[in-house]
Amino acid sequence: MKRIPAPFVLVLTASALLLAACSSESAPETETEASSAGSVTVQLLTHDSFALSEDVIADFEESSGINIELVSGGDAGSMVAGAILAAGAPTADVMFGVDNTLVTRALDEGVFEPYTSPEADSLRPDLADQTFDGLVTPIDFGDVCINIDDTWFEAEGIAPPTTLDDLVDPAYSGLLVVQDPGTSSPGLAFLLSTVARYGDEWPNYWQQLKGNNVAIAGSWSDAYYGDFTFGGGGDRPIVVSYATSPPAEIVYAEGEPPETVSTSSMDDGCYRQIEYAGILAGTDNVEAAQQVVDWLLSAPVQEDIPLNMFVFPARADTPLPEVFTEFAGQVEMPEQLPADYVAENVEGLLTEWGSVMGR
Amino acid sequence: MKDSTGLRVAELVIGYESPLHEPFTFNVAPGDVLAVVGPSGCGKSTLLGTIAGLTPALGGSIEIGGRNITALPINERRVAMVFQEALLFPHLNVRDNVAYGPRRAGISREEARAEADRLLTWVDLEGYGDRSIEQLSGGQAQRVSLARALAAKPDALCLDEPFSALDAPLRARLAQDVLSVIARARIPAIHVTHDPLEAQTMTRGAGGGSILSM
Amino acid sequence: MHAPTWLRWAWVVPAAFLVAFLAIPLASLGRQVISPGTVGYLFDPLPWQVAGLASGQAIVSTLLALAIGLPMANVLTRYRFWGRRWALALATVPFVLPTVVVALAFRALLGGSLGSGFAIVVLAHAYLNLAVVVRIVGARWVTIDPRMDLTARSLGAGPWTAFRTVTWPALRPAIASAAAIVFVFSFTSLGVVLLIGDSSTRTLESLVLRQTSILLDFQGAAVSAAIQALVVGSVLVLAARQRAAQRGGSARPMRLIRPRGRSSLAVGVVATAAAVIVLAPVLALVWASLRSSSGWTLAWWSGLFGPNTIDAGSTRIGSPLSAMARSLTFAIATGAVAAVVGGLAAVSVLTGRIGRAFAIATALPLGISAATLGLGTLLAYGRPPLDLRATGLLVPIAHALIAVPLVVAVATPTLRATDPRLVTVAANLGARPTRAWWTGYGPALRTVMVAAGGLACAVSLGEFGAASFLARADGPTVPLVIARLLGRPGEASFGVAAALAVVLVIMTTTLVAAVDRGGRRR
Repeated sequence: MKRIPAPFVLVLTASALLLAACSSESAPETETEASSAGSVTVQLLTHDSFALSEDVIADFEESSGINIELVSGGDAGSMVAGAILAAGAPTADVMFGVDNTLVTRALDEGVFEPYTSPEADSLRPDLADQTFDGLVTPIDFGDVCINIDDTWFEAEGIAPPTTLDDLVDPAYSGLLVVQDPGTSSPGLAFLLSTVARYGDEWPNYWQQLKGNNVAIAGSWSDAYYGDFTFGGGGDRPIVVSYATSPPAEIVYAEGEPPETVSTSSMDDGCYRQIEYAGILAGTDNVEAAQQVVDWLLSAPVQEDIPLNMFVFPARADTPLPEVFTEFAGQVEMPEQLPADYVAENVEGLLTEWGSVMGR
Repeated sequence: MKDSTGLRVAELVIGYESPLHEPFTFNVAPGDVLAVVGPSGCGKSTLLGTIAGLTPALGGSIEIGGRNITALPINERRVAMVFQEALLFPHLNVRDNVAYGPRRAGISREEARAEADRLLTWVDLEGYGDRSIEQLSGGQAQRVSLARALAAKPDALCLDEPFSALDAPLRARLAQDVLSVIARARIPAIHVTHDPLEAQTMTRGAGGGSILSM
Repeated sequence: MHAPTWLRWAWVVPAAFLVAFLAIPLASLGRQVISPGTVGYLFDPLPWQVAGLASGQAIVSTLLALAIGLPMANVLTRYRFWGRRWALALATVPFVLPTVVVALAFRALLGGSLGSGFAIVVLAHAYLNLAVVVRIVGARWVTIDPRMDLTARSLGAGPWTAFRTVTWPALRPAIASAAAIVFVFSFTSLGVVLLIGDSSTRTLESLVLRQTSILLDFQGAAVSAAIQALVVGSVLVLAARQRAAQRGGSARPMRLIRPRGRSSLAVGVVATAAAVIVLAPVLALVWASLRSSSGWTLAWWSGLFGPNTIDAGSTRIGSPLSAMARSLTFAIATGAVAAVVGGLAAVSVLTGRIGRAFAIATALPLGISAATLGLGTLLAYGRPPLDLRATGLLVPIAHALIAVPLVVAVATPTLRATDPRLVTVAANLGARPTRAWWTGYGPALRTVMVAAGGLACAVSLGEFGAASFLARADGPTVPLVIARLLGRPGEASFGVAAALAVVLVIMTTTLVAAVDRGGRRR
């Protein structure tokens, strides 16, 4: 009777370790460098869309002597839920990535400790008052916008829609896919945008969308890669996505980047999502945490943010990469709703949306 | 009433992809025993399996009671098999094991159970009907297996080394039981064994018998 | 039975495991969330409606999985044919694929005709759970003597009747086990229903997620989670009752049947159909990993292995190679932990009622939503004074919690079928209690634990929910990397995600085939 050959298991384990060793050479261990200096460690809690260049992080660690440890909280909502449940005895020192739909709740539960960063003086004017009495610091913002497959519209010889009202025009029947606001963050943002635009009449708008054969996907991935004509070979050339999705065509292209993009972002009806960072109340590392918050708002990080996270920097006058200035949607007048209004009404909105759309 | 012509095998070729042996031709009259002897691996189980329908024949014909069964599927041949292990169905008790064949033939549960009890008496296991099969000894299990095979009212009986798992005194007893049962049922039987002495016992004890060496 | 003394205490290890990693996290979470007012949430009709909806969907998914999986189990585990071992390993692949990947692959294959909704969701569920049916029922089926079926037929039963009256009763406990697990997985499904489902396929798991991370309604989430645990617990208890009727059969696998004549055709058809069903979504992924807007390309594969690894220099995705190494390490750790804990739990079933109750208890984690478990674990072990995140053990432990009930489900039927008299015989021959026990049960355990270990590794490789909470930000597993890639636009993102999914399939198939080979008698 054969047992699992012990040598075989050893070989498997050894190869796994070898693989890990090989690959870790290409990804510099940011912790071992700094921790050898006997420094402070700050745990930075983020969601799974967070990204920065490794050398930007390494530079900071070297100059400040602070060792940054990235801690994952899942998606933004799960991260905030965890922070709320742990309020007072937090699982990290700084949290980054809570957005304006969730922030009020986090504030009410006492998740944050006040800190006003000196860097906050450099914030864009429209974000300068978004600190909620100095409890959080805006770091970046993104706009959830309708994206359009221009190639498709050109081939069909139809002019693409330019406003929210166009979307209920029978000329565009069966061409739009949105995400379920109960399960998707951009889906929720789009719903809030229609609420901001149409006020109490928003259910009528959605009735009309339904009459215009809108498709509803469960997630952004499903919509973009499943239904959108450009991304996934689906049959819908209009999708809810981000103002920064068009530049991604170039950044994440194969081989030679194309000269121009095939999709564009519709400027009307965009919803602004602002992301904040804050020091978690109860942390032991307050001073170092403050330095990390300052760093997040500093020029090197703010410049690094666009191509890593595909959102816009909160710091005024940060130079944007060319692909952004050329191809991303530049939204002057996004829709916005007050954060506490959203926190209070989101459940009711979702229920009513569900009954209007029959889901 | 059984046709008295018994089992007739003509130019039967056994094997899987290619023939394992020269074609067989023999007859076994009702109540007679054909003992097939030979060393392991010579194909005696295959011969039995071909007659019972477990393996298709490569050529030739098999008739029982005038009925040509060569191309029939297992369940229509009416040839019962007893293996080296009793292979009783674990989820049924002794009586329901024996009643299995009659039930498949469409007989009602009460009648089938009555028939089962009758056959259990034939093999000296009267009153064992309610027991679970785990409570049986090796010899008892084989006798239940025999009763089960007969309850199905087969036209022929095939036994594949039915005693090899049992000890000598038990073998002798069981051999007598099998012989008396075959005589009572008046059906032809083929008995495969690797033991030449056992072959002799079986054929001498039967009404008529012959030995086939492979 | 002459049981060695330690056997009576075998349940302690699984008990400690459950207390430490299930009870304490749940208590930490409950302490924060539950108050006397929470009871009022039980009267909200919504979670009960969703429970009903999810039960219906799960039943259909289970029936479909059995319909496809039983013929596969029959052919792949009992017959000898060329490529059998690889076919069996391949059947485990759907189980390991991250649900994100399966959902998108199904959309790609069937989305045109089926769209989102009930039909595609139950198909995806049946696909994902084929491995459960094949392994659990197969492990039992292979110990049933094929001559039983022949005996029944020689007694006058047609092929279908023979199956119904002789094989089915012997298989029923294993089928009940497998069906219960498929039901539970489909009932608690999250990824598939979120991605390609609609309002008819909502599950309590998706409701908990919505209540936790969008509405921040923790009390409502606690109630939904409790209802889910209640339904799952009831199903598992019912299945255990069915299982207790296990009788007969040897514990050793029978010799493989060489198919001949008509059965050869049937075996060929089923094996081919199985390969097609399992491979179709995989081939869709392979295709996607080689296509770009300019035609065929190897860019996505070199984005994984080549000098220009995707997102090199950024913390976003993490090195795909180190994610692979990490997933493999977690898988092996999970297999080891699950084998020990699950093996002891399965063995303790033999000791009596406490042991049996315990084996059912090990299945509870299947009913606890990943969000609940993840958050609870973070609260209990993710911060001072007891911060275990740096040890890298949290993920394998969470994976083991889910894998242990599978190990128990695979091991228990075979253990029950072992004749306890073998132990008595060994003892009579002079063996000391432990040695005697091992002589009786060792052969069965060795074969079955390897199959169970393979399933545990597969679970770990493809798991997403718990890992997303508990893996550190710069230490993702392969499913996490795939999910991150799929969460952003750009053809490179999708292409590399598809390539990585193919790598995951290869890793799983190889690992499972190797583990199976080590455990088989031939």
